Amino acid sequence: MMSAAALTRRAAPALACIGLLATWQVASLALKNDSFPTAIEAIRAIPDILGDKESLINILASLRRMAIGFGIAVLVSIPLGLLMGRSRAVAAFFNPLLMVIYPVPKAALMPIIMLWLGVGDITKTLVIFLGVSLPVIYHSFEGAKAVEEKMLWSGAAMGLSAAQRLVRIVLPAALPEILTGCRTGLVLALITMITSEMIARQSGAGNILFNALDMGQYDTVFAMIIIVGAMGICLDAIFERIRARLVRWSEPQFDMPLSFS
Amino acid sequence: MISRPLSVNVILGLAPIVLVIAVWQGLVSSGLAPAVLLPPPGFVFSRLLQQLVTWTFQQEIAATLTRLFAGFAIAVVLGVGMGIAAAASPAINAVVRPIVRVLAPLPKVALYPALLLLLGFGHGSKITLVAADALFPILLSTYYGASTVEQKLIWSAMAAGTPRYEILFKIVLPAAMPSILTGCRIGLVISCIVVFLAEMITSTDGLGHVLVTAARTFQAVDMFVPLITISLLGLILNGLLGAVRSYLLRGFPEA
Amino acid sequence: MKVVPSRSSEWVRPVASQKPASAIIEIDRVSQVFQTSTRKDHLALSDISLTIEEGAFVSILGPSGCGKSTLLYIVGGFVSPTSGAAKIKGQAITGPGPDRGPVFQEFALFPWKTVLGNVMYGPRQQGVRATEAEAQSRGLIEMVGLKGYENFYPKELSGGMKQRVALARTLAYHPEVLLMDEPFGALDAHTRTRLQNDLLNIWERDRKTVLFVTHSVDEAVFLSDKVVMMSKSPGRIRQVIDIDLPRPRRRNELLLDPRYQKYVVDIERMFDESDETGSPS
Repeated sequence: MMSAAALTRRAAPALACIGLLATWQVASLALKNDSFPTAIEAIRAIPDILGDKESLINILASLRRMAIGFGIAVLVSIPLGLLMGRSRAVAAFFNPLLMVIYPVPKAALMPIIMLWLGVGDITKTLVIFLGVSLPVIYHSFEGAKAVEEKMLWSGAAMGLSAAQRLVRIVLPAALPEILTGCRTGLVLALITMITSEMIARQSGAGNILFNALDMGQYDTVFAMIIIVGAMGICLDAIFERIRARLVRWSEPQFDMPLSFS
Repeated sequence: MISRPLSVNVILGLAPIVLVIAVWQGLVSSGLAPAVLLPPPGFVFSRLLQQLVTWTFQQEIAATLTRLFAGFAIAVVLGVGMGIAAAASPAINAVVRPIVRVLAPLPKVALYPALLLLLGFGHGSKITLVAADALFPILLSTYYGASTVEQKLIWSAMAAGTPRYEILFKIVLPAAMPSILTGCRIGLVISCIVVFLAEMITSTDGLGHVLVTAARTFQAVDMFVPLITISLLGLILNGLLGAVRSYLLRGFPEA
Repeated sequence: MKVVPSRSSEWVRPVASQKPASAIIEIDRVSQVFQTSTRKDHLALSDISLTIEEGAFVSILGPSGCGKSTLLYIVGGFVSPTSGAAKIKGQAITGPGPDRGPVFQEFALFPWKTVLGNVMYGPRQQGVRATEAEAQSRGLIEMVGLKGYENFYPKELSGGMKQRVALARTLAYHPEVLLMDEPFGALDAHTRTRLQNDLLNIWERDRKTVLFVTHSVDEAVFLSDKVVMMSKSPGRIRQVIDIDLPRPRRRNELLLDPRYQKYVVDIERMFDESDETGSPS
């Protein structure tokens, strides 16, 4: 039996969604603005978008690029971050470079990379890769740095080599922090994807948004916002499930995600 | 821990930046990359210096900074206020928590078209987007900091005769300050990024707009200049916040 | 650090007989139930009744987990008991107040305030003017042996010095009762004995009522007029022992005193008899 309190906690995010949509509905009815459709009108437009073969293919292609960019970024960033966390020389080598890159909006590199590599999948995937890398490196770095020295000493005493220690001790010990970085990275992948499509205006979800805006199809604009928002929330929720399962041994973590563009 | 001499770290840290510039120069000199696509670094940096002193470019920077600061300030006020309130009151927590859970992973940039429709193409929509994006890290770290304040600090203050509502300002806020400033630091970088992107997507001024204009006319040099500028702005602002941080946290261990 | 000079008077006062027996704290059939994570109710304190007389130095001694700190928090007004009531000077305790000043094992100093700022906090909160509060606080800082450290931040001090600041901060608002929650538990043995001596010297000046929680038998006997022995699961009072040793006490004399030795040995034996695993260290 689930207690009433636990049930409320489970249902709270759904209630929050309904609450937000209701606020939207009331606000749009009150404002009576032609360019601000009601929530119900926007929701009605969702099947039209998902039913349209071309836009569905567009959105799925976006998601595929996002998955590839995210995957490669994670594979490269975790080892780099762990190495930086365990070696002061490696950290001193990479930190300033990363600090310079940090405030540069990755999606803003889109026009330059387009200039070099064209507007194909490689450009878009590369931009997503760049967007995801930094938080994953940063969190892996912090996680590896916090690993207790004595755990590594016991590892060395058991005869593990430096590389083995990194994989068998540092990686699992830093896993909670790494997964926090991946969670941020996942939302960032989505954000970078949308933004770069908004800037390049070639295809994909971001392009559908602005094409609809240009053509004055306001209910499509808002329907698309709901779709993108739902993607973000679902991806985050799925990842949180996986994360919770992988690091069950770890202290219960702060369970609200940090995300940013 | 072994402390490495500072100069060694500086050399190590400069190495990759020098290396990037060297490879860049090498690519251009060897003719592998045509100068139209990849202008040589010397050219780009002299162009940057030349631009920085012009009135028009300074106007672009000013437009970007205005939006950045306005959005960031709104995010700080709302984020810290809501974070403290949610930590202090179970009723507010019950409302704020699920809403934050839903809105935090939502890609805020997707709201930008809606903001354009509602607030127009001027400052309002961009400032709102910056504030919306910077809000959540500040809100979350404030909430985290405020809800993990050592219970006995609060007890000590209460025993000394501090009323409950004053505890919030006299104890919880200063005790949560390290966490709040960490959130602000993330929020500030996000503000830099978002304001630039918003200006790229639609704008008539600002650094992002400079980049888009250059891209339309395939002026590779002028595409690099705003990117380097925003990177420098980010570093300077981060440095300023770091100075504020070490002043405010002078009493805290490891600040 | 300077050791505070003790009062020169060698006047010995047998505490139990001469003091007027006016109760300052009354604990009346207090029980405390906590809900554990497995949703089983844990009885932390069971039916505790205790009266503490004004000016007495009373230690609560027991193994970890016997609820001795919880009892202190109830008197402090930080925790309300599940049943029963605690009173101070006949008034029911409903919350914390400046008449009861806590000193915690964790020091709980405000990290954003200097030593002076920490000590001044209480008087300022009580509405004392800044100049006056500062003068008083400087005097207290000198009394606890930290003159010259007024503008240091807590992070720059050692554990023993932090606890001296915490004591000064609490004394600054003139509480009638000091509530000390294993105050020397986080300190090394050497620092601990120095602080015990200094605490006694400070206490000799005005003989405030002290409720002192500890798991150290030596410490309890050395400091107290009365030792309240507690047993665990559930936390109960086993026995209350009057410590009839002359004051002011000097460590070097007391350790050689057969009466002191007997108190320590007797109390340790009583704990050993009750259970092997839960004996205090």
